[in-house]
Amino acid sequence: MNELMIIIFAPLLAGVLAWLLDIKGVREGLGVIGAALPLAYLIQAYQTLGTQSSIQYSILLAGFKFEFLLYQINWIFAMIAGVVGFAAVLGMVSTARDSYEWLFALMSLTGVYGVFLADDLASFFIFWEIMTFGSFMMVLKYNRKASLKYFLLSVFGAYAMLIAIGIIYAKVGALDFATIQQAFYQDAMRGTFGADTLFSRNDMLLVFGLFLVAFGVKAGMFPLHVWAPDAYSETNQSYTAMFSGVLSKAGVYGMLVIYILLGTRLVYQFGRIGAAPKFGYIIALLGGLTIIVGGLLAALQEDIRKLFAYSSISQIGYILVGIGVGTALSIEAAIYHAISHALFKGLFFLIVATIVLRTGKTEFKDMGGLAEKMPITFAMAFVAILSLAGIPPLVGFASKWLLFEAVIHENMPILGGMIFFGSAIGFVYLIRFTYAVWFGQRPTELDDTKDAPLPLAIAMGILALLNVVFGIAPGLVAKELNKIFGKEVIGGTIYELNLGFGRYNGLFITIWLVVGIVIAAIIYFLGAKVRKVPVTDTYQAGNPVTMEYNLTIRRNFFLPLKETLAFWLRMSFDRLYQDIGNWVEDLAETLRHYVYNGNVQAYAWYLAIILLILALWGV
Amino acid sequence: MLETVLKAFLILLYATFVGFMFMGIIRIVTARIHRRVGPPIYQPILDTIKLLSKKSNITHGLIYDFGIIYALGATILALMFIPLGSISILRAYGDLILITFLLEIPMLGIMFAAMSSGNPWAGLGAQRALLTLLAIQVPLGFAIVALAEFYGTFSTYQIVMAQQSMGWSITHLPLLLAAIAYDIVLQAMFGKEPFDIMIAPGEISLGPMVEFGGKHMGILQIQHAIALFAETLFFSNIFLGGAVITAFASPILNTIASLAVLLIKQIAVLMIAIFIGAIFPRFTIDQAARFYWKWPTIIAATGAILAAL
Repeated sequence: MNELMIIIFAPLLAGVLAWLLDIKGVREGLGVIGAALPLAYLIQAYQTLGTQSSIQYSILLAGFKFEFLLYQINWIFAMIAGVVGFAAVLGMVSTARDSYEWLFALMSLTGVYGVFLADDLASFFIFWEIMTFGSFMMVLKYNRKASLKYFLLSVFGAYAMLIAIGIIYAKVGALDFATIQQAFYQDAMRGTFGADTLFSRNDMLLVFGLFLVAFGVKAGMFPLHVWAPDAYSETNQSYTAMFSGVLSKAGVYGMLVIYILLGTRLVYQFGRIGAAPKFGYIIALLGGLTIIVGGLLAALQEDIRKLFAYSSISQIGYILVGIGVGTALSIEAAIYHAISHALFKGLFFLIVATIVLRTGKTEFKDMGGLAEKMPITFAMAFVAILSLAGIPPLVGFASKWLLFEAVIHENMPILGGMIFFGSAIGFVYLIRFTYAVWFGQRPTELDDTKDAPLPLAIAMGILALLNVVFGIAPGLVAKELNKIFGKEVIGGTIYELNLGFGRYNGLFITIWLVVGIVIAAIIYFLGAKVRKVPVTDTYQAGNPVTMEYNLTIRRNFFLPLKETLAFWLRMSFDRLYQDIGNWVEDLAETLRHYVYNGNVQAYAWYLAIILLILALWGV
Repeated sequence: MLETVLKAFLILLYATFVGFMFMGIIRIVTARIHRRVGPPIYQPILDTIKLLSKKSNITHGLIYDFGIIYALGATILALMFIPLGSISILRAYGDLILITFLLEIPMLGIMFAAMSSGNPWAGLGAQRALLTLLAIQVPLGFAIVALAEFYGTFSTYQIVMAQQSMGWSITHLPLLLAAIAYDIVLQAMFGKEPFDIMIAPGEISLGPMVEFGGKHMGILQIQHAIALFAETLFFSNIFLGGAVITAFASPILNTIASLAVLLIKQIAVLMIAIFIGAIFPRFTIDQAARFYWKWPTIIAATGAILAAL
């Protein structure tokens, strides 16, 4: 048995066993082993990748040759899946309700590994479907409507991909990545020398469009993002750590696959804008819109899970911008942000899982003042907030910084403005989360809330630690990313990123931040002692207050923003899809009504008409 | 090592002192505009000393204290990365984007502390502060993009050096537009009218600051002074040519001359903010958002696009 097979199938096997045995305690153990095993093998594979460039495995099954390949890029993506998947599974030990969830959660993990390691389009597609199915079943258990929305859009995307694969197979006659890449490369060469090309301009447009839809759906790209807020929120929140942290990266990885397979041919056909390929610019622009739309909608949510779902969409936008710009640096920056997004968003959803587990509430209006009751979770949330908001020295800043520099350096002012806006909006919705959940008055029913259970605390600890370590030493990740292109795209040492036109040093920032805080603390401690006062002992225009007054603004926190954006908020893609859905249902109803009308004579007429057509055709 | 520590200490001392002088200047100039005499220039220092020496202080918990300390710490951090003439600790890492972010993060600390007090005015102030931040970010972003594209580097120090040979940034049309937009943004960053929506004295009882008293407020005064210094310094560096004087033979004279030139530029930036602040009434928050997303954004985006061509 090859180690690649163990990496891919260990979670599924563990899931099936957990489902069959269904003994409390055993299924949790199996699940954790199922997630830990691939991670262990991936870490081991790091050594092997250092000596040889790739690990390969292929099986013949049902007439297809399924090929798997582990090399630098997909090792990085698989590691994201490994670490965040492991943390999410640890979280599920506390939050999963039955063996059903273990089966499908681990099944989707197998799907993701398969997608990342696949080296031919057939296995890519099959694992893509396994991944979609597993996550669909996870959502189905909690909310039927949300799951169907997710499923419909996913199926739409998956079959768009299938058509694209069909077109490629029809022209090239092979499914494995190497041959396809070669074929497109040669086609581009033929075009350059003026010979006839295998794929016409329209073929390329179609294939690119279909792939864009397929991967855009999974990544949550605007305007295909509408499934994400519902699906991310209506499921086990520990699982969402994986759902948003890893499964959405499959879409991102797909965008990279477009580059790997079709890149040269697409650039030849459509040319470039500045340094960016034109097709990439489309991805980048959609990514920019994704940042803005996701961010603004996140700020206006009243449900903690929805807020992070939109935030997740918004952050994926950054990654798409980076991939779209398409220089070596921006792609490395995008992958870096994919890593950091997985780390902090996984952490966030585990925090949400803890809150939901311990309080049973999800809306901001029911919460407040939890920081005192859940100090460990709050400390983790603090790290996650700093990381997502892009506060140095955490990993969120390092990756955003790289992305900013990579995009702006290519002279793309519009994209630059978009990502700047995205960083501010990230700040805005996070503070809203912080204020409503952790601070202020605590509703009396939350008075006996306990802190996170141990497995969740460990899972959060792992992710928080990585957020800090990669932030202080951003070079650790950069070094691995440089191996993708085989040259030093991001220079510097472990602590320093050096791009030539900009430098960032995580260690110095940490040191000077500590120095600054020490100076501030000295001033603070030189002053007189402080006296602790309760929340209700506060300034309320000079009036006395008691616990009966609600002093914390929990509802509609950003009402002025909503009013400012009223015009834009009237447009909703969610409603558009809803209307299209209703329209299709009406159409089906109409067809049923008129075509299958129960009149025997009508059916006789259909027969006559068909015979007439055949006669006219000359049969 | 010891030299670095000494240098950092001197920079910090200088920045705090000048920052307090700036606060004094703001009060005097505003008073003179109103035909008042106004307090002496060192009044903010006296205020701060008074606040720090209060006998009784209150706290609402750990975050309430830590937020304040973090705010001051982060401001000091930001200061270290901005080139101050020829003396600076970390000017090699003084990256445009880094400094832009570092100038914003002290607000996070203030916000955390204010919100943990549970005061409704503080919550309201936090909301207004965040929406102001969101509003200014668009023109600010375009202005930074214009700068980075024009000079092809993100290093603030290199931008200062480039201006020594190419002339000040504001003499080039794309960057002039960016500077105008940035200057309008500065009004909100200083917390001056018409964009003092976050603090809004008289309207929401100082917003985030409402619960702070004693040493907490004192530390925030110091933070405000350093932030004022850092923000004006950053603007002078990137748009007004900074200052690298090499006319004298003695390095000490050169340094003093650089600081003097920088100080004049910083005061010029400050004066514009005071003059505008003294005659304009406050905007409401949605007006501010609409304003920033319209004129400054158009101006800065034009600058950024021109710089990219």
